[in-house]
Amino acid sequence: MAEHSRRFSYAMVGLIVVLVGALLFAGCTQQPGGGGTPTPTVPPQKTTLKITGSTTVLPIAQKAADVYMNDHASTDIQVTGGGSSVGVQAIGEGTADIGMSSRTLKSEEKTKYPNLQSTVIANDGIAIIVNKANTVSDLTLPQLRGIYNGTVTNWKAVGGPDQVIVVVGRDSASGTREFFWESVMKKENFTATQLEKNSNGAIKQTIVQTPGAIGYVGLGYVDAEVNAVPIMVNGTPVDATVGTVISGKYPISRPLLMITQGPPAGVAKSYIDFILSPAGQKIVTDEGFVPLA
Amino acid sequence: MKARGGPTGEDPSPDSFPNPPPAVPAEAGPVKDHSAARRSGRETGIRAVWFLCALFAVITIFFIFGFLLFDAYPVFEEIGVWNFLSGPVWNPTGEPPAYGIYPLIIATLLATFLAMAIAIPLGIGSAIYIAELAPYRVKAWVKPAVELLAGIPSVVFGFFGLVVLTTWIRVSFDVPTGETWLAGSILLAIMALPTIISVSEDAISSAPREYKEGSLALGATHWQTISRVLTPAALSGITAAIILGIGRAAGETMAVLMVTGNAPVIPDPIWDVLSPIRTLTGTLGIEMGEVPVGSTHYHALFGVAVVLLVISLIINFSATIILNRIRRQQAPPASACVPKQVPETGWRDRAGLFFREHRMPITWGLVAIALFAFLGLTGLGIALALYLAVRYIPGRISPRWAQRIAFTLAALCIVGVMLALGIILFDILAKGLPYVTWEFLTKPPSDLGRAGGILPAIVGTMYLVLGSIAIALPIGIGAAIYLTEYTREGRLVGIIRTATDLLNGTPSIVFGLFGFAFLVIYLSFGVSLIAGQITLALMVLPTIIRTTEEALKTIPVPVREGSLALGASKWQTIRRVVLPPSVPGILTGTILSIGRVAGETAPILFTAVIFSTRFLPSSLFEPVMALPYHLYILATNVPGATGQQYATAVVLLGLVIAFYAIAIVIRHRSSVKHRW
Repeated sequence: MAEHSRRFSYAMVGLIVVLVGALLFAGCTQQPGGGGTPTPTVPPQKTTLKITGSTTVLPIAQKAADVYMNDHASTDIQVTGGGSSVGVQAIGEGTADIGMSSRTLKSEEKTKYPNLQSTVIANDGIAIIVNKANTVSDLTLPQLRGIYNGTVTNWKAVGGPDQVIVVVGRDSASGTREFFWESVMKKENFTATQLEKNSNGAIKQTIVQTPGAIGYVGLGYVDAEVNAVPIMVNGTPVDATVGTVISGKYPISRPLLMITQGPPAGVAKSYIDFILSPAGQKIVTDEGFVPLA
Repeated sequence: MKARGGPTGEDPSPDSFPNPPPAVPAEAGPVKDHSAARRSGRETGIRAVWFLCALFAVITIFFIFGFLLFDAYPVFEEIGVWNFLSGPVWNPTGEPPAYGIYPLIIATLLATFLAMAIAIPLGIGSAIYIAELAPYRVKAWVKPAVELLAGIPSVVFGFFGLVVLTTWIRVSFDVPTGETWLAGSILLAIMALPTIISVSEDAISSAPREYKEGSLALGATHWQTISRVLTPAALSGITAAIILGIGRAAGETMAVLMVTGNAPVIPDPIWDVLSPIRTLTGTLGIEMGEVPVGSTHYHALFGVAVVLLVISLIINFSATIILNRIRRQQAPPASACVPKQVPETGWRDRAGLFFREHRMPITWGLVAIALFAFLGLTGLGIALALYLAVRYIPGRISPRWAQRIAFTLAALCIVGVMLALGIILFDILAKGLPYVTWEFLTKPPSDLGRAGGILPAIVGTMYLVLGSIAIALPIGIGAAIYLTEYTREGRLVGIIRTATDLLNGTPSIVFGLFGFAFLVIYLSFGVSLIAGQITLALMVLPTIIRTTEEALKTIPVPVREGSLALGASKWQTIRRVVLPPSVPGILTGTILSIGRVAGETAPILFTAVIFSTRFLPSSLFEPVMALPYHLYILATNVPGATGQQYATAVVLLGLVIAFYAIAIVIRHRSSVKHRW
């Protein structure tokens, strides 16, 4: 009985190994033949454009897709989020037609996927926001750096109320944080006690309900619930607005990208061209981003 | 029979023993007619199928683990395993980058520990209340309500925590920010509670009625019966409940990263619950989406995932060992079935004996009330004081008073749980209900979800849920049948069970990563419905296996033996005798799974969802919209859609309630039909 059951177990283990092997093998053989996009399930007359990547760019891409699809009934544009890296990986592996990114390609990515091409579709101004109750009137870039590297810990030191500063930033993989780190922090380390959030929405929420908090978000998130602090540039405070970003006066802004395999072609080109057109750039403005000048 | 029967001569509970005596295998049966060979061939075939199901969990976990290790290997090579584990600074984008995950490991352990300190007493107290004390009408409401708590999506918990809980902590403890370890643990406790309550309650109520009647007939009070007879008999189920709960807490991503502040520091001093922390899952959740593929940072995150898996392995092992030891202490063969003869001595001695032997349940109760009085450290302090008081003045309370106190505590537990549910539901409904209109339910979204409706998301979520359950249910039930009916506890079963527990402790975000890398990219499914369904199915599989196993174990062994003795084959016995009365238990598992599947964001984030579409999916290879993702993206990336965000949460809850209602009706019917 015991021997019977042991033999049985061995036989089963063997069977499993064969099955898994077959599955793996099937995966291997499918890849070159499938060429990335398994589209036979989609009717041939309907063209599908798959866009994925940065959640920052997602609102622009989705709204542009909605308008584009109104004029091109045979096109189905599918926009998914996930993050800039997901976008780069998806376009690199051929599972999407366009990747969205809120940061430029890293050297590792350029090595792995040498054919990727980026198109700037908009700019994103980064506003410094504080709680409504905070009376601080403006900040210089060095003061901002001091707050974020932990040397300034009380609002009193920068002209605000006597209150402990709660530093709020983005997660260490965020394109926004990287940009902030390069342009504001000059690559200095952030304070270890910084609270980290994975989205603009989450940062804003924390700022709204925490009196001593400071954070940075895209321009689209600035509204009456928070105060956007003007940045001192050459002795004049500059508000964070679309106008000051376009004119180049506001110092903290970055490009948003759409990435394709080689130069954009076919429906992808037509779609990206639409975003770059005046109608597309109006969507950019409506969503709180900064249109290309 | 290893077990010794009670006064009635029956011993229908395998629960009180670690190794239920397996029924006589069919092959060894005395029947030897000419159809025996054919029959045994069929039996072997059926057994093989269940064995495959059980092995599936093992293969999956090895697959995921291998895949994670493969992607994590470069960071171990570059930095060194020890430096990676013991490094005090996590700053992957600093200059120079630092990849030390020591603070993250500590934070994960602390968060899980405190969450369990809150959830285990509350959960078991509530389970005792529901199983033994609640009047029928109260039970009919409370039980589904607890399951409803499981159906609240983690994103909703996260936002509730961020808006209500952290503000409350900031104001009442007067700290600069409420985003703290305490906030994370309270939220995790609330999220782990439904699992702990449902599974423990099932285990307690399925303790054979004869035990209870026997104990009461011998003159024990109701509380003595509960604490000395029923709870020990249900210990195996409670163990499962706690392990499942720990898995839920240690693996939770979306809610935790919203309320703990995510600052990679170790609390100073270490018990400072008001310090922000950053857990391993939180790190994966906030950094994975944006990290450049192939960079050291990317591999380091996979290293984090490996460590997370190893930690859940350790938690599972130690939980199993500890609880086995408790089980041996509390349930020696004789006293497990019959309460000890109440000695003919004074009440002082009786009470003293009572307290000495039942320190555990009493302590749990006291800890629970203390937590309710002050939530957190203050509460723990008082619990300790009460515990010490009970420890050193044991002779002062009579069994009747002990019962009164214990019952009050159990009732308080359930009141607390209901209160938490009430507050969260009120918050969602008050903010979301005004936006739920007919148009909202029947139109596709427009203007990024700020207008229009969410029909494609409702349909997509239904497809995801139904598909994943359709995949996971047969495999899960098959695996559970194999584990309980066909095997003794051997090495292979040990491996399968460990793999199942590990799979359960695997954070949902890791499933998402695995689904993305394996299904979406390697198998070229693309971002699609089928990839999401498979990913979710893997995720709920352990819950289904565990709860089905528990359900099967509650079927008394003599019932099986009776069936076999009458000449039924093994499979006939399982199908006709064992499975039908297990249906309520299996349904509980499935209900819990549905709640989890419908509300999960992390596993579908990279595998199945699309932000917005005006078409319904026409094949398994198209992406779908899903309610939790819609909610997540509205909450985090679309300014000015707060109303729609809460309305989506309301619809998601409504959908889960609808699923629950169906399952609860079925369960109610079948539980009326089968009573031992």
